[in-house]
Amino acid sequence: MTHQPAAPAAAYLRNVNKFYGPFQALKDVSLDIPPGKVTCLIGPSGSGKSTLLRCINVLEDYDSGEVRIDDQLIGYETPGGKRMAPRRLREMRREIGMVFQQFNLWPHMTALQNVAEGLERVRGLSRAQAETRAREALAKVGLGDKEGNHPSHLSGGQQQRVAIARAIAMEPRIMLFDEPTSALDPELVGEVLGVMKQLAAEGMTMVVVTHEMGFAAHVADRVVFMERGEIVAVGSPRDVFDAPSDPRLASFLQGYRERNSLDF
Amino acid sequence: MLETLHRYGPDLLTGFGLTIFSWLLGTAFGFVLGFLIEIARRFGPRALGYPIRAYVEFIRGTPFLVQLFVLYYGGPLIGLRLDALPAGILGLTIYGSAYFTEILRAGFDAVPLGQIEAARAIGFRNSTIVSRIMVPVMMVSALPALVNFAIILTKETVILSMITVPEIMFQTQTMMSETFAFVTPILILALFFWGFVEAISRIGRRLERRFTHYLIDRS
Repeated sequence: MTHQPAAPAAAYLRNVNKFYGPFQALKDVSLDIPPGKVTCLIGPSGSGKSTLLRCINVLEDYDSGEVRIDDQLIGYETPGGKRMAPRRLREMRREIGMVFQQFNLWPHMTALQNVAEGLERVRGLSRAQAETRAREALAKVGLGDKEGNHPSHLSGGQQQRVAIARAIAMEPRIMLFDEPTSALDPELVGEVLGVMKQLAAEGMTMVVVTHEMGFAAHVADRVVFMERGEIVAVGSPRDVFDAPSDPRLASFLQGYRERNSLDF
Repeated sequence: MLETLHRYGPDLLTGFGLTIFSWLLGTAFGFVLGFLIEIARRFGPRALGYPIRAYVEFIRGTPFLVQLFVLYYGGPLIGLRLDALPAGILGLTIYGSAYFTEILRAGFDAVPLGQIEAARAIGFRNSTIVSRIMVPVMMVSALPALVNFAIILTKETVILSMITVPEIMFQTQTMMSETFAFVTPILILALFFWGFVEAISRIGRRLERRFTHYLIDRS
């Protein structure tokens, strides 16, 4: 966990703690997010993966420690100090794209409007500029022909790709994915993972909470295994999947392989 | 009967006009006030929660007639001297705001949190989240209840006659007491309200279509 990447981290967490009442969801978590790399967070349900991810853009307030994006503290004015002013927090969030398990598209807007809205309201682009950029983003995720559809007229996989387009159109420095394929029918998972692989290949800094071990094994540069609010193991996919050093990790992977084996 | 109508026609028309006028302003201001109260409750300091709840419970817990009397006859005691019509409109505004704010609270609560978080994650300010995301999404479920309450308010306007606002009920009562004819004035009154409410329902349905158009399958 003290592993330092060669380049300065795009983001890092230092001794982050998060409580829900008496329950401690994150226990003294420290993690570097290397720039231009894919970091996958794996672990059992309730292990704190999503909480960790949501602390990076402070959708979840952390209680102590530091979260820094490009060395800038996010969430608090100073470590352990006052909460950050809403305006400053909004400015920092612009740099962080997020994709949710449930897509969370705005149902009353078309695919194009969903993508253009942030460009217009947050980036301050004109309607025409915002729509041009939104069309580019939709084309990139392979949905150039669906710009006029409302979310209710898109499949789950298409909705998630619109959500990815909405995030990348803002040109974030980091992209956070919170179980982006968990709500999808199995046959729709591939199209979303395909878009994510393409982003990874372009050098986007990505943090992905996932249950798709195949994706983690093939696309991640680093895999982080969490359990009970702690980071138990960090390493390359090869280290983590082929030679799990920690018994909890080995048992998690064993369980996963058993559930996903084809002998039914 | 024609003679009676001829005699009372202008007064009845004035009455119709005043009823529509006071309803329109009372409903519009009541909605705006209710909306502001809900925004204050949702985004304002936590300390506002209790007084807002007390306000809503007081208004919902007392008859409109009593509120109107307190405002019109009790107002001068605290230096609030209003003519009958402004007092009536203010009364409707206050009365309406308590109900509207509760309808809006339920509507906002029904907006999926994820859609709000998505907007936050992109960096929207709260006012944009409310106007661009929460209101349009909330309207799908809240609009029928809002229109319903606006219709209820049409009928509450007759109580304004009790503080001498010369709206339609006032005019009808005058007509009844002067002519001793009861059926015709009451029928006119009933038909007027029926038509008035029907018009509001139609507008409501049109608004509903506007807010839910994206849910209708176009294929």
